[in-house]
Amino acid sequence: MTDISRRSLFNLATGGLGFTAAAHLLGAGANPPAHVGLPGLPHFAPKAKRVIYLFQHGAPSQLDLFDHKPDLAKLRGADLPASIRMGQRLTGMTAYQTKFPTAPSIFRFARHGPGGTWLSELLPHTAKVAGEIAVIRSMHTEAINHDPAVTFFQTGFQLAGRPSIGSWVSYGLGSDCQDLPAFVVFVSQGKGNSQALADRQWGSGFLPGKFQGVKFRAAADPVLYLSNPEGYSAQARRRYLDDLAKLNELKLADTQDPEIATRISQYEMAFQMQSSVPGLTDLSKEPESVFDMYGPDSRVPGTYAANCLLARRLAERGVRFIQLFHRGWDQHSGLPRGIRLQCEQTDQPSAALIQDLKNRGMLDDTLVVWGGEFGRTVYSQGELTATDYGRDHHPRCFSLWMAGGGIRGGLTYGSTDDFSYNVTEDAVDVHDLHATIMHCLGVDHTRLTFKFQGRHYRLTDVKGSVVKGLLA
Amino acid sequence: MLFGILLAAAVPLAAAVEFNRDIRPVLSDKCLACHGADAAAKKIRLRLDSEAAAKADLGGKRAVVEGRPEESELIRRVANANKALRMPPAHTGHSLSDAEIATLRQWIAEGARWEKHWSFLAPERPAPPAVSDAAWVRNPIDSFVLARLDKEGLKPRPEASKETMLRRVTLDLTGLPPSLAEIDAFLADRSPKAYERAVERLLGSQRYGERMAARWLDAARYADTNGYQFDGERVMWRWRDWVIDAFNRNQRFDRFVLEQLAGDMLPGATLDQKIATGFNRNHRANTEDGIIPEEYAVEYVVDRVETVSTVFLGLTLGCARCHNHKYDPFTQKEFYQVFAYFNNVPELGRAMKYGNSPPVVPAPTREQQALAAAVDAKTAAAEEFLAKREKEIRRGQRTWESKLEAGRWTPVEGLHKAFAAGETEARGAFDNDDRFSFSLTASSSRVPDGPLFSRMANGEKGKGYGLYFRQGRLHAHITNSFADDALRLDSEETFGAGERRIVFTYDGSRTAAGLNVYVDGKPVSKKVTQDTLYRPFRNAGAKFDEPFRVGLGGGKDQRFNGTVSGAAVHSRALSLEEAQAMAIAVDAAARKPEAERRPAESNALRRLYLDTAALPAVREGQRKLTALRQERETLERTFPTVMVMAERPVPKPAHVLIRGAYDKPGEAVQPGVPAILPPIPEGAPSNRLGFARWVIDPANPLLARVTVNRFWQMYFGTGLVKTVEDFGAQGEWPSHLELLDWLATEFVRTGWDVKNLQRLIVSSAAYRQSSAAAPELIRRDPENRLLARGPRVRLAPESIRDAALASSGLLHERLGGPSVKPYQPAGLWKELIMQDMDYVQSTGPGLYRRGLYTFWKRTVAPPMMLNFDAANREACVVRESRTNTPLQALNLMNDVTFVEAARFTAERMMKEAGASRDARLRHGFRLIVGRAPGAKEQEVLRDSLAWHLDYFATSGQAERFLAAGDSKRDASLDPRELAAYASVASLILNLDEAVTKE
Repeated sequence: MTDISRRSLFNLATGGLGFTAAAHLLGAGANPPAHVGLPGLPHFAPKAKRVIYLFQHGAPSQLDLFDHKPDLAKLRGADLPASIRMGQRLTGMTAYQTKFPTAPSIFRFARHGPGGTWLSELLPHTAKVAGEIAVIRSMHTEAINHDPAVTFFQTGFQLAGRPSIGSWVSYGLGSDCQDLPAFVVFVSQGKGNSQALADRQWGSGFLPGKFQGVKFRAAADPVLYLSNPEGYSAQARRRYLDDLAKLNELKLADTQDPEIATRISQYEMAFQMQSSVPGLTDLSKEPESVFDMYGPDSRVPGTYAANCLLARRLAERGVRFIQLFHRGWDQHSGLPRGIRLQCEQTDQPSAALIQDLKNRGMLDDTLVVWGGEFGRTVYSQGELTATDYGRDHHPRCFSLWMAGGGIRGGLTYGSTDDFSYNVTEDAVDVHDLHATIMHCLGVDHTRLTFKFQGRHYRLTDVKGSVVKGLLA
Repeated sequence: MLFGILLAAAVPLAAAVEFNRDIRPVLSDKCLACHGADAAAKKIRLRLDSEAAAKADLGGKRAVVEGRPEESELIRRVANANKALRMPPAHTGHSLSDAEIATLRQWIAEGARWEKHWSFLAPERPAPPAVSDAAWVRNPIDSFVLARLDKEGLKPRPEASKETMLRRVTLDLTGLPPSLAEIDAFLADRSPKAYERAVERLLGSQRYGERMAARWLDAARYADTNGYQFDGERVMWRWRDWVIDAFNRNQRFDRFVLEQLAGDMLPGATLDQKIATGFNRNHRANTEDGIIPEEYAVEYVVDRVETVSTVFLGLTLGCARCHNHKYDPFTQKEFYQVFAYFNNVPELGRAMKYGNSPPVVPAPTREQQALAAAVDAKTAAAEEFLAKREKEIRRGQRTWESKLEAGRWTPVEGLHKAFAAGETEARGAFDNDDRFSFSLTASSSRVPDGPLFSRMANGEKGKGYGLYFRQGRLHAHITNSFADDALRLDSEETFGAGERRIVFTYDGSRTAAGLNVYVDGKPVSKKVTQDTLYRPFRNAGAKFDEPFRVGLGGGKDQRFNGTVSGAAVHSRALSLEEAQAMAIAVDAAARKPEAERRPAESNALRRLYLDTAALPAVREGQRKLTALRQERETLERTFPTVMVMAERPVPKPAHVLIRGAYDKPGEAVQPGVPAILPPIPEGAPSNRLGFARWVIDPANPLLARVTVNRFWQMYFGTGLVKTVEDFGAQGEWPSHLELLDWLATEFVRTGWDVKNLQRLIVSSAAYRQSSAAAPELIRRDPENRLLARGPRVRLAPESIRDAALASSGLLHERLGGPSVKPYQPAGLWKELIMQDMDYVQSTGPGLYRRGLYTFWKRTVAPPMMLNFDAANREACVVRESRTNTPLQALNLMNDVTFVEAARFTAERMMKEAGASRDARLRHGFRLIVGRAPGAKEQEVLRDSLAWHLDYFATSGQAERFLAAGDSKRDASLDPRELAAYASVASLILNLDEAVTKE
């Protein structure tokens, strides 16, 4: 659907109002209808109305956070057995290594919550909400390098070009919110080794561009071009838009092109965003207790903590898909120090978000996902010392957690071998994860499709099964 | 889909069912995913992708029994009341409508006639049909359009007004709005040929080539960076400029295609023909550490196949990468046969992090070529000057030779530094993408060992470059990161005690092939141990500021176990002949009779004599010659390069890749084309050039159709085949098949004349209709597929900005050149990327160039382009897309680009239109929209201006408002007044009409 937007079609299809009448209504400031989603969607009653996806970019080490392997201590420094490695391909960074010394985590693990979830000492705050989250230890992916791996998580395919998950969701389900985009993205900088991200990771691929994620930035303009030019007041803008609408209406009456009615309504929505977004991103009215919960970083714009708090505020306003990217998890060397810094930035706010949603009665219908694009190797990349090691990329198994709408809390799902190298039970691949997220939203992942280049594409490509064991 | 319903309602079924129009789309979309060419893989017996299979007897049942719908298993199954038996199965998400089932039934009852898919049949030139109103017809396009309207009971709209027409055709042919002078001249031209004259003027404008190129860049996934994660810069603008030029000089379209596919393989290929092949190097290239190069080498070839099949054939061949095509008659093997044509490029799976990856060619611009030619002419004259004095030189040289003392020749040309005896350190220079050489004499009484010359950080595996002896074997390296970002090679030969003249030369290519070492004039046999140098030092971490060291380097106590003398560094790659001459002991050579001297000896003596001992006039001549050669070398350094296609001498074997995986090769394949299409023309070679000849062969049923359809989309917003990227079974049935075929055959008949095709379309009465329409028509045909009105389409993303710059007078109309970086909100790159690649905004004219010159970084594309639905430049995109969003509104109202353009327009309003407010408003409106405002519009503008005059008079904000942008405001104008006019100009720039071609 390219040339004429859905909304103008909507105006056409619903008929009733003449174009000019509709335009008058819109010009008079009535809320334009938000994108209503596709007919027939959701396919069944959803458990979650929205998603907050906390993407840990760079790939956090499952071995140091979730996948407890106490027996590895005995094997410290021993070469990874060939029976475990099974000739699995390595990245070009460790392929030349002659030794693959086993590097047990130096962090202590303990069980938490009613389900006795194993978590490392790096996640003391997450431990407090262990009863709410389901840790999947049996995630695996096909990609071994960052960009294809993130692209795979975001779009269900390793090469760029397909719509991101948030675009699919906003295309299928539309928005519950009149004055904010349906799919909002935040990016924050970690303290570890950062890999590059790309705008296309929240792009709409072959879906119409209006479904792409809108990045909110910690800048004077949280949304690009949001602020009026210097010296031009909101009052002036209001007058300007009224005049603009008058002129556009004259044109509409003349040509009858419904696209003009759409444009008038989009300018109105832009104006609403101009007032709603600054209010949204202004945290000054949040009480002290909230900042205490999310941690001191939450007062600093652009941090992961501040973005977690903003995510909650967006969720409250009905934004459908909120995605945070936090960079800096790529610890090829100096992992113990690097991961500690990353956790200091992310553990408390992630847990606070869960608690905050719960306190507000929103956790039941908000799905929260926390995880990176692959895992890390059990063997050390570079030298293994008593206090230091690095870990290379590892796609064959890693951990990720989900919480909230539709998910059984306190659960640990799936398992891996003694080296956290291969999945041994209840494997979950990226398509399965996508299918499960869609399921929580009331969407049958096989039936949300878009025809492009002759093919009916879907987020899960030709695969994906809902992981029933994760569902509440 | 609602559109389908609306259009179907508008286009009722004709009495008789047509297989291609009515049946194939249903079978394809609803059945072939399982019952298609890939059925065997799913262990499904019934196939519906061919007539024989669909009518075959499968154990007493036949899917299609001609004339007998009730006996046909197909009907029994699709219309089965039992849900468990009904096809398609519910889990596929597909189902047939009652209307579709009725059509299938009717088709079988009428005999179940099968047809080859329409687009695989060569177009036959149809005669223009008879129409109700012959007077309306301006050219054959109109006959086809009107015949369809007659059938639908519709009448065409009257011709658009002159102003609308001029703006429409100017935007379509140049991407810019008409200037006021052009509008006035056109309105004043009362002759019946006024429009045709305007069209000719526009086709002759250089802006025409830019406009046409913009869409071609989308199709060719052109960008200024490599994409993927690291996304470093590349240099492909010479290819972009070649495209603009090709359109401007109206290159035949078949040649345009041929040269882009295989220009490098044409006999005596010119530089331009090589540059053209950049088309197939525009794909993304992965440079990330740790990738598996073979994996991405396959992706690049796949990208070429997908792009070529989309752009030139309108086919989705890429769907046959992992399995047989589900809908179209292409096997997986055929995919890899086409793959084989594009698999033979001597390229890297892991590309260069910064700059172009091989194969590349230096691609001087026309101006640079002219400069080089001028230097060459002067060089020839200088050579002639010396040649004329040959006798005199010989005489002088003989005398000089008789008294010659021991010594060696070192080239003067490009000498960067000559080390004095005992001098071991000097300030370093040259990055690893520069050309440079160094030379020295090494002498050792033992097996030589240790550093000869280096420029590197301390440590054996450090960053930098150096030449060593390692136990008698020469070792040369250029290193960023020892593990994976370096060139390293050893000599096969080993050397013992003794003295040798050694020369290291490097051509800046970042490949081992470009690094050579000569010992006593002989190139050593290179054993390359690493050939992966991806980054210049300047882009690889900490600043690289090491000195040159003679006899030292690569670690604290590393030194040569002998003596190094006569060291020199040159700022160019010395040649083999020079290295040979440099090895000559000149006194010994001089003692030989002239006839017995080796060429290197003669050369060394001659060069040394000319450089140092000849008569003043000759030495001056020689000095001039050297200076000219140096000038040429310096000039060459400024030449941009461009990535091009090239062939390996020995073809790289191609295989079917099982499930498309790079590491699962299956059956070996030879190059070839899909069997359903015509064969390779007789006599064409079995390589990429042969493939290119096949693509442009008029027997190919697709190239002309796909091309004219894409051009049609440019004018009407939608192609005659809406799925411009897919002419296969899943593509949409053409709205006007005969028109498409007529245009395609006309295009070929006129010698693939691109401008002629544009002229034909814009001259048609169909194109010249008014785009205003009655609501009933819009409701009936929202996408204007029936063409009962003129096109009304939002401008392309770059055109929206270009138009604002043009009407304000800010546009800098320079053709071609390196990409520029106009205004962009600060920090956009920094937020997402990892390396030292920052967005350094252009200044001056670079801020005001047309959008197709804007630097396109793949991972962080220009935000305005993204907002307005630009193709993403990740992979080939040919379908135009337009959405309507609040972000676009914010962009147009608040982006400094448009605020500054509004101010400039306001200055024009105040300075060019006298003192009356009405005249000024009218002027601004005309500048932007190309017509005078109506009375009601004028009234709104007047009120708005009055309000803004008051606002700026009372708010005191005028100066701040006017400060937007790099340019200074005209200080002679009253700021409050100017700010008010600028506000109204912004208002006009934001009108729907301003961003729409109507």
